[in-house]
Amino acid sequence: MNLQVSGPKANALDVRQLSAGYGRFDVVHAVDLHVRQGESVGLLGPNGAGKTTVLRSIMGLVRHRRGEICISGTDVSRLPAHKVARGYAALVPEGRRLFPNQTVEDNLRLGGMRHRHDNSRTSELLAAVFDLFPTVERYRRRKASTLSGGEQQMVAIGRMMMNDPELMLLDEPSLGLAPLVIKDMARALLTLRERGRSLLLVEQRVDLALQVCDRVYVLSEGRIIDEMRTKEVIGDERALIDAYLG
Amino acid sequence: MLQVVLTGLSVGAVYGLVGMGFAVAFYVTRVLNFATGQLLMVAIMLTAALSAAHWPIALAMGVGLAASTLGGVLIYLLAVRPVLRFDRLSFAWLVSTLGVAIILESVAALIWGTSSLSFPQLLNGNDVNILGGALTWQQIATVLVALGAVVAFEAVRRITLFGKLGTAISADPEMSSAIGANVTLHAAIAFALGGLLAGIGGVLVGPISFANPYLGETYGIYGFIALMIGGTERPAASMGGGLILGILATLANTYINPQASDWFPFVVVLAVLLLTPKGIFASGDAIRDRLIGLARRQPLTTSKATPS
Amino acid sequence: MTAARQSVHARSALWFTNPKARRATWACALAAYLGGASAIAHSSNYEQSLLLVAAVYSVLALSLDLVAGATGLYSLGHAGLFAIGAYTTTILNTHYGWNVFLALPVVVAAVGIVGVVIGALSLRVSGLYFAITTLIFTIIVNVLVSDLSITGGYQGLPGPTFPNFPHALSPLGSALVWAVAGAVLLTITVTWSIRSSALYPALLAIRDSEPFASSVGVRTAATKVAIFSLSAALAGLAGWTFSFLGFITPGQFDTTAAVNILVMVILGGMNTRTGPIFGAVFIGLFPTVVTINPLWQEILFGSIFLIVIVFFPGGFVGLLARAGREIRAKATHTGEAQASVAPGTRPSHSNGSAPDEPREVTAPFRPSVGIDLRATLGSSTAAAREREAVSEIALEVHGVSFSYVKGTKVLDGVDFVVRRGTVHGLIGPNGSGKSTLVNLISGELPCQEGAIRVNGRRIDHLPAWQRPAVGLMRTFQTAGMVSELTLRDNVGLGLFSHLPRIGPRSLAWPLLPSARRDDEKVANIATAALGRVGLEEPWPGSRALDVPHGVEQLAQLAAACVGAPRILVLDEPLAGLSRQEVDQVAAILRDLKAQGVSTIVVEHQARFIFEVCDEVTVLAAGELVKAGSAAEVRSDERVRQVYLGL
Repeated sequence: MNLQVSGPKANALDVRQLSAGYGRFDVVHAVDLHVRQGESVGLLGPNGAGKTTVLRSIMGLVRHRRGEICISGTDVSRLPAHKVARGYAALVPEGRRLFPNQTVEDNLRLGGMRHRHDNSRTSELLAAVFDLFPTVERYRRRKASTLSGGEQQMVAIGRMMMNDPELMLLDEPSLGLAPLVIKDMARALLTLRERGRSLLLVEQRVDLALQVCDRVYVLSEGRIIDEMRTKEVIGDERALIDAYLG
Repeated sequence: MLQVVLTGLSVGAVYGLVGMGFAVAFYVTRVLNFATGQLLMVAIMLTAALSAAHWPIALAMGVGLAASTLGGVLIYLLAVRPVLRFDRLSFAWLVSTLGVAIILESVAALIWGTSSLSFPQLLNGNDVNILGGALTWQQIATVLVALGAVVAFEAVRRITLFGKLGTAISADPEMSSAIGANVTLHAAIAFALGGLLAGIGGVLVGPISFANPYLGETYGIYGFIALMIGGTERPAASMGGGLILGILATLANTYINPQASDWFPFVVVLAVLLLTPKGIFASGDAIRDRLIGLARRQPLTTSKATPS
Repeated sequence: MTAARQSVHARSALWFTNPKARRATWACALAAYLGGASAIAHSSNYEQSLLLVAAVYSVLALSLDLVAGATGLYSLGHAGLFAIGAYTTTILNTHYGWNVFLALPVVVAAVGIVGVVIGALSLRVSGLYFAITTLIFTIIVNVLVSDLSITGGYQGLPGPTFPNFPHALSPLGSALVWAVAGAVLLTITVTWSIRSSALYPALLAIRDSEPFASSVGVRTAATKVAIFSLSAALAGLAGWTFSFLGFITPGQFDTTAAVNILVMVILGGMNTRTGPIFGAVFIGLFPTVVTINPLWQEILFGSIFLIVIVFFPGGFVGLLARAGREIRAKATHTGEAQASVAPGTRPSHSNGSAPDEPREVTAPFRPSVGIDLRATLGSSTAAAREREAVSEIALEVHGVSFSYVKGTKVLDGVDFVVRRGTVHGLIGPNGSGKSTLVNLISGELPCQEGAIRVNGRRIDHLPAWQRPAVGLMRTFQTAGMVSELTLRDNVGLGLFSHLPRIGPRSLAWPLLPSARRDDEKVANIATAALGRVGLEEPWPGSRALDVPHGVEQLAQLAAACVGAPRILVLDEPLAGLSRQEVDQVAAILRDLKAQGVSTIVVEHQARFIFEVCDEVTVLAAGELVKAGSAAEVRSDERVRQVYLGL
């Protein structure tokens, strides 16, 4: 696996031979994947394939992991989650997991806690989030648990944005959301992409991934079984369907 | 009657402080520090001993409080963290923190003997007349400091980022570490705070109850009951629990018989627990939320994905 | 050595292969015990009182471990139960002149009844809150006895004197010692028997995985109440014996005592046969045996608590087990011995270690799961099968809706039909309501709207534990099994509903020939079932926590099949399985179909679903999207849209 294909910058993410699991068994086996700077990459596959485990391993939330994980050239394989969150990566977890008893604004500020000593930076980031999600600004004083699923998803993405990480990780953001809401969310993700962020998006919904990503990997039973450029897939979904449906 | 309530408040304030000591540590780690009462005792004994050695009062109190705070941290590092590392769900911390409680008690008795030391009287002199009831300045100070502690605690918890982080950790430790919180550090701080609160209780109650190595047990139990009344959902509620407990105990002592404070509060607590297993204040919260939910005609969803 | 005997020995306290040797060892142990009792009965008063206190505490600790260690109900109320036993005995004897032996059954029964009430409480509050509620119970009892005049207030009461032996028996020494020895022996017999019985895995399942317990037919609520009541009765027995040891005062039954009993259990070694005894002896004897300065003694006491539990979370038993392993390792030069021996249970296989590398399952697959149980256990499945031959529809779900939170329906008017002898797939994206539907079918969730019928009979009113009786078994998506039990014992749990009168027999299990026969049958059937899913030795003897995920999944499948179900519900059975294991499952399902079993499979692996299933139902957002043959569904436009978003 090569670290740098071309250009001076290291890849946003390089994962080499990642194996990970919970306890004595591995869920993910020898996974290799990379995300270039400014690229949006999708990780597809049926449930139970290990997609969430890959994201959590990158984030440092999985204790039993082997292999190498580099973010923007720095080896983060051994770091605990709270150190990974210091600018390397930030996560929008499956199910959103906002802090339920706190306000929307508190959730956002907590997401930006690594800038807590820099008020101007925090205000900047907050303004950017409100700019992208006007609804979130409207609800800033409401308790997070009172928001609808779609609204919570916006806040969760905003919370991740507040961290201003090298790499943005999203785990099934479309889960449990109505189609209309998914449209809004796709637009937000596209905006992030336009702004040059690096994204790794886990999704079960292929259409959303194809909209937002430049490239997709297909994970099945813990292994990468396919990698395709989105352009190749659109128009000829049969290959992808076969990978999914067998 | 007013007198009873006033006295009860001052007694309950200390119970509430110890209760908060339990609650803060429990809030972050889901562990009950069985040595919290003994941390109160450490503060009171050191203060008494140092002031008997003619140290200035303020300095003696400072040392006492520092010791109880540091004690909290040490208990976390030595007795709680290793146990949680092995199995997050076991009750082994019951044994280890109890062991610490026994050690602290006996070491104190070894150093200072088993009979009480006298504590500087501070404000425990004159009575103040309040609407027909009488309290010493010490008792008033106790209530005021306790309330002040609660206000300060809630202010920190709700306003500062640090406090909000504590709440976040209590709700979802994993997600909190994913946004950058060092959960271990916070746990240690929570235990330190617990020790500090217990120590403050000790220093306040010193003039009234004398300094004795075996105080920890009594206050430990009462503080624990205060926690149970208030509920484990919010540490500040333990103060409310303590005040209620203090009033109930004093009421029982006055109107039933001097021994009744041993059982009356507990019967009430049992009744409370059977009706509202999570404590009065927590249930009150739930009831209030449900009413608000009804008003908004919205179901209350949490941020966890609903099961499919 | 047959698998059956191996399993029996897994739960019995000795693992000699020869039953004669086993009986001889027990006889020797009993003789030694009686000899010891006799020695104590003749020793000085001082020694006697020491050891008697330790003995009484042992009874208490053993009784608590039954509910705390095995069933997961952490009680701080045993001090209160202890107090009730002691005070009632004393009052009945000294106040009302009752004969102490007459008082015994009354006291034990009374405390047992209180135990029923507290046990029922455990259904309302759990975990920490239950511990707190029971602590309050102890406090209230303590306060009552401190204040009532009939109990002597703070001074307490002098306990009754135990009658001496009649002259003819006086060479036996102190009668009290023999009585206490008898009580201890009874308690050990009861608690160790339960640990050896078929009830034990059920208790562990209640503790670790209640849904799994209900799914195999364990009445979890009733069992919790019953076991708590038994534990309380034993605590009452302890109280009875304690009353003869001198004065009884409220100070002996306070919160410290309540916590101490739990500490005895944890410090000695939770959920072990001998742990509570070690803990009780330590805590009972320490203050009197260690005669240094009392304050230093306390410091030492507390330090032991701290050090033992931090370094040996398994308590004294864990410490001894570790020491034993080190010694054995040094003796056999195999380096650090594998940490595969759970404290207090004997290894269930002869080489004493579990395989530590995930192994490919390579056993050739043989057809036909589930031995005909008619011949072996005399169950009524034959009769059930006759009745069933009538209905073509095995399972019918009609108009079912469900909401977790008022206002948001997770399932909306779903109809679902499974025809007899088919493999029926249930698929849909996350959030579609599949798991909810499965939980409604198995009884995990109560039916809010609509009807569920098996063979034409409505079952939606039946609680989960009664569903195995209509032939319905299920597996779980996550963690079905009890980690510290072997696969064989876990699969054996699947036969729980087929064994008669487990509860009463568990009290003396190793002594009952019928129980030993049942053990052997269950072990045989379980091992055979594991073999049929491809898990040959050493898997059956390995603990669930030591095996790879795929193996555990297959074992769960075996557990669900072992009781010859008519309807099988599998919730994501393929998670974590290798390609070969998936093929194995497919073959098993085909074979089950040949036997007339109707199977519902919830899965995401589409290839498997469309190859193996006869019919498929697709759910999305709580509604039925399509139901039909596998081919129809696979090529359906809407399904593709909904599933893939394409």
